This record gives sequence, C-alpha cells and structure tokens, in this order.
Amino acid sequence: MTGKAPERIGARTTLQKLLSRFHFGITLFAVALSGLTILLAGVTALRGYADRNMELAAQLGAYGVEPALVFNDPQAAREGLEPLTRIPGIARLRVLDDRGQPLTQWASPMADPAPLLTRMFFPRPFAVTVERNGSAIGTIEVWGDSSTLIDYVRIGLLAGLGCLLITALGTIFLARRFEYELVKPLNEIATVAHDVRLHRRFDKRVQPLGIAELDRLGGDINALLDELQGWQGHMESERAMLAHRASHDTLTAMPNRDAFDEQLAMRIAAADARGSRFALLFIDADNFKAANDNFGHAAGDAVLVALSACIKETLREGDFAARIGGDEFIVIVDPIDVETAANDLANRIRACVAQPVELPGGETYRASVSVGAALYPDDGDDATALLTAADAAMYADKLTNRSRV
Amino acid sequence: MLASLFLIGASLTTPQMSVQAASQTVVEDSDDGMARAVNRMVGGIVSYARWPDGSADSARVMCVVGTPRLTNRMAPDVPGAGSVLVRRLSVAAVTSRGDCDVLFLGRMAIADRRQLIAWVRGRPILTITDDDAACIFGAMFCLSSRAASLSFSVNLDAIGRGPLRIDPRVLNIGRGDGGAS
Repeated sequence: MTGKAPERIGARTTLQKLLSRFHFGITLFAVALSGLTILLAGVTALRGYADRNMELAAQLGAYGVEPALVFNDPQAAREGLEPLTRIPGIARLRVLDDRGQPLTQWASPMADPAPLLTRMFFPRPFAVTVERNGSAIGTIEVWGDSSTLIDYVRIGLLAGLGCLLITALGTIFLARRFEYELVKPLNEIATVAHDVRLHRRFDKRVQPLGIAELDRLGGDINALLDELQGWQGHMESERAMLAHRASHDTLTAMPNRDAFDEQLAMRIAAADARGSRFALLFIDADNFKAANDNFGHAAGDAVLVALSACIKETLREGDFAARIGGDEFIVIVDPIDVETAANDLANRIRACVAQPVELPGGETYRASVSVGAALYPDDGDDATALLTAADAAMYADKLTNRSRV
Repeated sequence: MLASLFLIGASLTTPQMSVQAASQTVVEDSDDGMARAVNRMVGGIVSYARWPDGSADSARVMCVVGTPRLTNRMAPDVPGAGSVLVRRLSVAAVTSRGDCDVLFLGRMAIADRRQLIAWVRGRPILTITDDDAACIFGAMFCLSSRAASLSFSVNLDAIGRGPLRIDPRVLNIGRGDGGAS
C-alpha cells in the first residue's frame, strides 16, 4: 500500500511529528498570549503603584518643605527634600514658593535608563500644593523616571521567558504522552494489517483499544478479517475438493490413476530408503464386459462399487488402493512382513467379491476377479516394470480361472 | 516601598537635640525687607506652636517688651487662618496681666530679662528674642540677622521646660549654630 507511494509526497511526515508540531504551535501561542497579558497587566498595575509612589513622595516632600516655605529658607527646603532623593525612581524635584519662584531643586545624578519609557509613564511631574493652615504657600513638583519600571520589565521578561521555557517543556512532554497514547493503537492496527497482508495470518485480530474511534476502526478491521478468514476457509475447502476430484474416481471414491502413479513413486522411494519391500496387487474383474452388456451400465456400476467396497474393506492400515481403469484396481500392500501377506489379501478379496451383489433390477450377480501380485524390488525395480509384472501375473491368474471355468 | 516612606517620614520628624543649625531666610534688599522678613518669621514660628488650650487658628496676643533690634514694625504675618495681636508692655504689665500668648523680648535690662524668663517657666507662653544671637539666655526662639539674611535658632531646653508644643520640623530648621554641622 504505502510502498508504492507517489514520488511527489516524498517528504511524508509521521503522525507523531504532525501532532508534535501542532501541539507546540498551540502551546507557544497560548503561553505567549498569557505571558503578554500578564506583562501588560503587571505594567498597568506597576504604573498605578508608580503613580502612587510619586504621589506619596510628593506628599512627603510637601510635609518636609512646609516650614522651609513658611520661613522662605532654601537650605531648609533642601534638607526637607533630602529623604526624597533616596527614593529610587525620582528623577527631579522642585519646590516653588507662593509666587511660583523656585526655592530649591534637585536632579538625580543617575541617567534615565529609558527616556522613552519615562515619557510614556510620567509625561507630567506630580505637583502637590503645600498648604499651611488652609492657604497655599507653595508647590512641590516630582518627576519620576523609569529605573523601577525597567527593573520590573526586565524581571518580568526574564520570568516570562522562564515560564515559556518551562511550559514549553511541560507541554512537549504532555504532547509526547498524548501522541504515544494515540500512535500506539494506530501502530497496533497497522501491525495487524501488515501481518495479514504479508504472512496471510487471517487469524490475527486487533486487541480492544482505549480510544473509541480507533476501537471502532479496529472492530471494523476485525470484522473484515473475519470475512476474509471465512472466504479463505471456503476457498481452501473448495480447492481441497477440487484436488480430491482430480485425484479420485467419482464412482467408487477411490484414488485414480494419477494419484496411484504418484503414490507408487513415493512408495518406491520410501522402500529404497528403508531397504524394505512391498507388494503390488493387480485386480481385474472377470467377464465384466458381459455383465455390463447383460444387465446394463447401472448394474455394471453397482458391481464396481461392490468391488471397491470389498477392496477397501480388506485394506490394512498403510495399504493403498486405486481404480486405474474401467474394471481394473490396484492395491499397494505396504509394508509386507511375510511372503504370504499379498496372497492372503488376494484371497480375502476373492472371498469378498464372491458374495452375491444385488443389482438395481432386482437380480443378483456373483462376480469374480483375477489377481496378480508383484513384489518390489524382486519382480521389478521401477514403477513400469513392477506394473508390467503385476499385470502379467493377473493375466496368468485370469487364464487359470478361465481354464478352471 | 510604603514602609520605607513612613520610615523616612519618621526620621524627618524626630528632633535631634544634640545637633544645632540655624535657618537662613533670604531678606529682600528693600526698605521694609527686614520688617517683612521678621514678621514672616515670627508669624511662621507662631503658626508652628501649639498652646495647650487653643486651636491653631485662634488669635494670639504677642506682648513686645523692650526695644526690638531688627524692626520696629512688629506685625507678625501668620500663614493661613490665624492672626497675632501686638501689644507693647512693660515687664511689670506682662507679669500682672498674664494674658500674653507670645512674649517678644527686645533689648532690655539683663535683670528684667532674667525675671521674665523665670516668670514664663511653666506657663504656656512662647518666647522669642532678637537680642541673643547665641540663644543662651533662655528664650525659646532667637532671631539674628547676618549679612543679607535672617535666621533663627532654637533653645531646646527652654522649649522642653514649657507646656507649649512646637512642630519638630521647625526645631529641625532652627537647630542652633553651635553644633557639629
């Protein structure tokens, strides 16, 4: 099936790789999306905190510089601002008196790490009006810078990257497991199909699978295999029947000439190998033509069936009988232990045949046979010679019978 | 972050008794520059003082005794609500009337000053002088003029003895000259 795939699909991928790719893509997307969301939410929250921080710093500064504004004292104002200069994230401070004239100012010696971020987050200074007993006596202005934000963004990005890595690894692991769960049953089905195709193992079946769809597929394949097995069994019995029909005679159900020739060759080979002997009996019905002419073909057939029944009856285990012509039968007597075994058998056949046969017309017929025996290898060392010897012996017997009659 | 802010706030409001540094108010170079500066400073000091009986914005009576050295036009400029009534009284009048909230000690006899300082002890009266640059004779706040600036020093012992409460931030500003700074 797959072996003859068209060339253009040369870069064929496995299901596992495909799933892995999909999983990774989806996971990457999800993690990136959630990471971005968290980062944005964090930045928003941080901006709120930074604003609050600036506001608190401004309030603290307002509290600190209030007496300095009351006494119009720049030195005291500087001292009042001093605690604010230690708070990270403040770029610049300015104290204005009630007429808007700067009393003192301070700028952070540290350079702003990201002016763009600062412009985005702190576009304007935080200004708090300093009041004394309900009247404004001045203003304090606080400019923020991005140093605290930069730290957060840096840590956030690092943590996000770490999370991405961990999540990616975890998802790859989970995807592997999932793929394994999916690919294993598919492989099982494929193995069964392969076995059936390659080794004709029609008895193979897909085991029940954990995934419903695949289990259904497996069940269908099993049903198909059941059918195939049925067909194959049918075909085999058909073939056996045909083979039997080819090698057997339809009337007496005995092996025919072809089967006999084959059997004889085998027996000769076996006897040669073992150095043993066997006998061949050539049996011919006497006056069969006359019986056929007098009583009809149906009667002739009945005689032949009776004859074959007698032969089959007398056979021992290991012996082989065949009908090789119209009224000619052959028996291979194998093994023979004593010289007289063949003659014994011949006599028993004669006795059996001598029983009257009931013909379809109601008459009875008493048949007789002539039997010739030949011994292998004494009377012939190949099939033809042996058969000729047996045939000759049978003729001799027939002549004797005629002269007796 | 918040906690550190509070900590810094707390350290700011804690008075440091051992160190003293004077404030330096810029005095405008005009006819009444010094008068305005003095009145502003006195008003500021008054606004940062808390009398045990009254609220911050109630009118306070300032009794001026002796001759003020820095200006004769005493009219303290209290920021926001609140005002100061100025009376010029003799030493005897101050001690007999007893309704002064603020006592401004100008130039006067040493005996009178000593008497007034002794009389004030234990009373809720804010004492300010402009005749004691070193701030050693017992007034709570001592104004002094140097070059083109006006400054005040604080006598923490005097403040500590009285029932008045002074905003620590002012004490911080008015830490006297004699310290290590």
